[in-house]
Amino acid sequence: MTALELSEIQSYLFNEYKEMGFSKYYLMQIQNTAAAKNFLAEVAGEVTHANAALKDSCLNIGFTRDGLKELGYHEENMHSFSREFREGMVTDHRQRLLGDFEGSDPKLWKWGGPENERIDLILIVFGKDEDAAEAYYRTLRPKMETALSEVKTLDGKSLPNDREHFGFRDGISQPVIKGSGSKASGNNNDINPGEFVLGYKNEYNVYPDTALLRVKQGQSDMLADNSEGLADKKTKIKFKDFGHNGTYFVLRQLEQDVDGFWTFLKNQSKETEEEKRNGEATYLAAKMMGRWPGGAPLVKYDQDPGIDMEDNNFNYTKEDTSGNKCPFGAHIRRMNPRDVFEESPPNISLMLTRRHRIMRRIRSYGEDFIGSAENHKPTGKVGLLFGCFNANISKQFEFIQYTWANSPKFKRLYADPDPFIGVREDPKHTLEQNFTIPTETCNRVITDMQRFVHVRGGAYFFFPSVTSIKFLSTL
Amino acid sequence: MTHQHPFITMSEIQEDKLVLLRSRLEAIRKDLLEKQLSNVPTVFDKVNTLHYGRWVILSRDSFRDEPREPVGLRLVLSTNYDGIGEDHVEHHLTDLVTHLTPYIDQLYECCVGYPEEGARTEESRKNFLRKGITKTSAFFNGAPGRSVVQIRQEDALHQHIWKFVNSRTWDEGTPATAIHRAIQQEIDANPEFAWSREKAGVQGIKWGSFLSWGFLLVLLFLTGLAVFWILFIFLFYELWDKKQTLTQSDLDDKKIDKLKLVEDFFPQNQFTQVAVLKPGLARKFNFWIWMLRTRVLANDVFVKGKLLNIPTIHFARWVQFDKGKHVLFFSNFDGNWEQYLGDFIDQSGWGLSAIFSNTVNFPKTHFMGLLGVIPVILGKIPGMRKIPPMPVTFPGTKFVLTGGAYDQEHFLAWSRSTQIPTQVWYCPYRHLSIKNVNNNTMIHNELHEPLTEEQAQIFLKRI
Repeated sequence: MTALELSEIQSYLFNEYKEMGFSKYYLMQIQNTAAAKNFLAEVAGEVTHANAALKDSCLNIGFTRDGLKELGYHEENMHSFSREFREGMVTDHRQRLLGDFEGSDPKLWKWGGPENERIDLILIVFGKDEDAAEAYYRTLRPKMETALSEVKTLDGKSLPNDREHFGFRDGISQPVIKGSGSKASGNNNDINPGEFVLGYKNEYNVYPDTALLRVKQGQSDMLADNSEGLADKKTKIKFKDFGHNGTYFVLRQLEQDVDGFWTFLKNQSKETEEEKRNGEATYLAAKMMGRWPGGAPLVKYDQDPGIDMEDNNFNYTKEDTSGNKCPFGAHIRRMNPRDVFEESPPNISLMLTRRHRIMRRIRSYGEDFIGSAENHKPTGKVGLLFGCFNANISKQFEFIQYTWANSPKFKRLYADPDPFIGVREDPKHTLEQNFTIPTETCNRVITDMQRFVHVRGGAYFFFPSVTSIKFLSTL
Repeated sequence: MTHQHPFITMSEIQEDKLVLLRSRLEAIRKDLLEKQLSNVPTVFDKVNTLHYGRWVILSRDSFRDEPREPVGLRLVLSTNYDGIGEDHVEHHLTDLVTHLTPYIDQLYECCVGYPEEGARTEESRKNFLRKGITKTSAFFNGAPGRSVVQIRQEDALHQHIWKFVNSRTWDEGTPATAIHRAIQQEIDANPEFAWSREKAGVQGIKWGSFLSWGFLLVLLFLTGLAVFWILFIFLFYELWDKKQTLTQSDLDDKKIDKLKLVEDFFPQNQFTQVAVLKPGLARKFNFWIWMLRTRVLANDVFVKGKLLNIPTIHFARWVQFDKGKHVLFFSNFDGNWEQYLGDFIDQSGWGLSAIFSNTVNFPKTHFMGLLGVIPVILGKIPGMRKIPPMPVTFPGTKFVLTGGAYDQEHFLAWSRSTQIPTQVWYCPYRHLSIKNVNNNTMIHNELHEPLTEEQAQIFLKRI
């Protein structure tokens, strides 16, 4: 396998920066192209790559299609980027794919929507706390001069014990990129680099579609030739690859209605005693997630062990064919079907699952609030900045969101979208939306599921390699 | 048991009426979509033998590659229908022209040879459609034997049982058999479900037929004919195929926009594709062999809702036309294009490669020659090492398949580039996945059966 060029790849792909409790996502617009190029030339060396020793603060940069266009990226070269990236997160078709309707309609978004200001690039700054992140950003600001203006700033932080606002431990089952130096995690999480980084082979053993420079521009000599060896038909010269060592980043701001979520679950209970109601609500929430709030998987624990854990060592074929432990519609069973992919045998299932993974990068915003059945009224708006890296947005993020989360037909289900991220807002009550909990005898069904996660903004970015960022400054 | 059949008829479009025809098709599409999205019955719903139907305009522009026969302007009507009576084609034609008369008239009056207004009768309309009937080469049905009426009835039955079970509280420890009995009583008390007492016929695997074909295949191998043919195709054809490097980003945006315009409104989607067969008798014969194989497997083995292990297809078919030089592929499936093709690559790349490698500009395959020992030999040739291998193990045999559909990026691009827009698409049960359809039949058939506790538990899980 080709060795990963770690000093070229932006580090956020490999490192969640757990040590850095605070992050600021600066969504920027280019005001002065020449100045923006100067800024990129200056800052490229500062971008935290995967081989860099971690300092007190880190910086990663991504571009939207508009941003590349502003910098003078040639239209024909732009065409080599994936369609998803070129079109952006907001199109009529994509709205259907991602299920962004009603309250999540892009028209209502705070950023990234058709009514919002254009976003050209994202600067992600990390620090151990807010002060450190801001202090670092202040050192960058003079270099930007008149180049960039801030459209929106999103603050993200890690909540204690890796919890998110609903109260669950998050980010347990992450893929590990082969060759990244991280310890192999086993259990089917070790994935070929080409699922996340362009220029390397993916889980189909082929190179993912990459951003070739079909038209020569800028100082393209600094870029690598494309790995697949594609060349101009006439000159036979291999195309330079802007995408090499780069990756696509999906960012969605998801507001969480924590109070609505727990109230809904408590209302499902017929118990009158508060403690029992809370217990049942927690049980239902765990069934919907597939893990207890502390992270213990239902496949292994039928009772809440009440402790935090990162146990990811389980499958479904032997442990839970019937779904009696972890329902088929549960969030984690949909997002990572492990060895039960549709109706394929376990070894094939594991192979297929590896082709639809994403590298999640989650940061919460709003009050430091961890919800539970007992305590579910945060002050102000809370939510999470859902981010994920992938080499093929269509095959990975969009596939997962549409086919596994939004589709009520997942597995043999009839009308069960993902209880967290797939349920549609349905003000006219025209949809049947359930959550089915298999039991020894009769399925228990939670009907009239409601949506408790609302999209407030989103965009697709490309995170180029360090060299490709330098190249952009030469356009 | 009612058998389902494919129907396809092609009619020549009057060139000067093409714009009008397009606008009429678009009006029908929009009207149909709007009604389906708001659950309003449509005219098509009146044809209670029609599973799926589509109208597609076929022209020179539909072909990505140079056609091998002159391509006229054609309106293609393709349906899947329940075979009623001895002459089921006749019955289907009658169904179409009597229930869809306004559509048939306004569309086909844009075609050459359609009867003039005063001369339009049931018979003259049928005669016109009959003229363009084209034979289907291979046909797959995800729920053999299930008529539209039965699918709708079983859907209603499932919904009723679901509501019944979920509107009651079952004491903890209630045996599954007791709940099963209660459901039986509930259904028995409802005369509208009287039909459910009779079990539905479900087609099993036709071992006799399949084994005789298998025997023939073994014979072909034993006599060396099969190996000879594989080597012949490999050495004289596949090795000389050009490498295809088209990727998705090379595709025409406007074309993709047109395709996406009509996709992902429902849990089900459609796919129409047209390709040109490679020239030469050998390729033609090779294609015929693989069509035969697909026909045999689809008829005898793939009768439980899975085509080559793909569990999301309702109906699919291949149609060779224009003197066998061009091929149309139609499919009705659950999920979206990415998932559908993903499934294809993941689960049946070998089957797809075998069929479509006989069409021009398909991603280069190395299928034929790689049977048995050949991959080992090839692996020693330096140039061949670059070809990504895809090991697939079958019982007792080991194939190493490469290229073709396993060449994911180029295969997906090939597929999109040969896909053509479907102007009108109809499905009467778009809220049901093929798994739902088959599961509903199981519920129906197990409802009145005496079940053990374990069987009853499985029954209840189906609901």
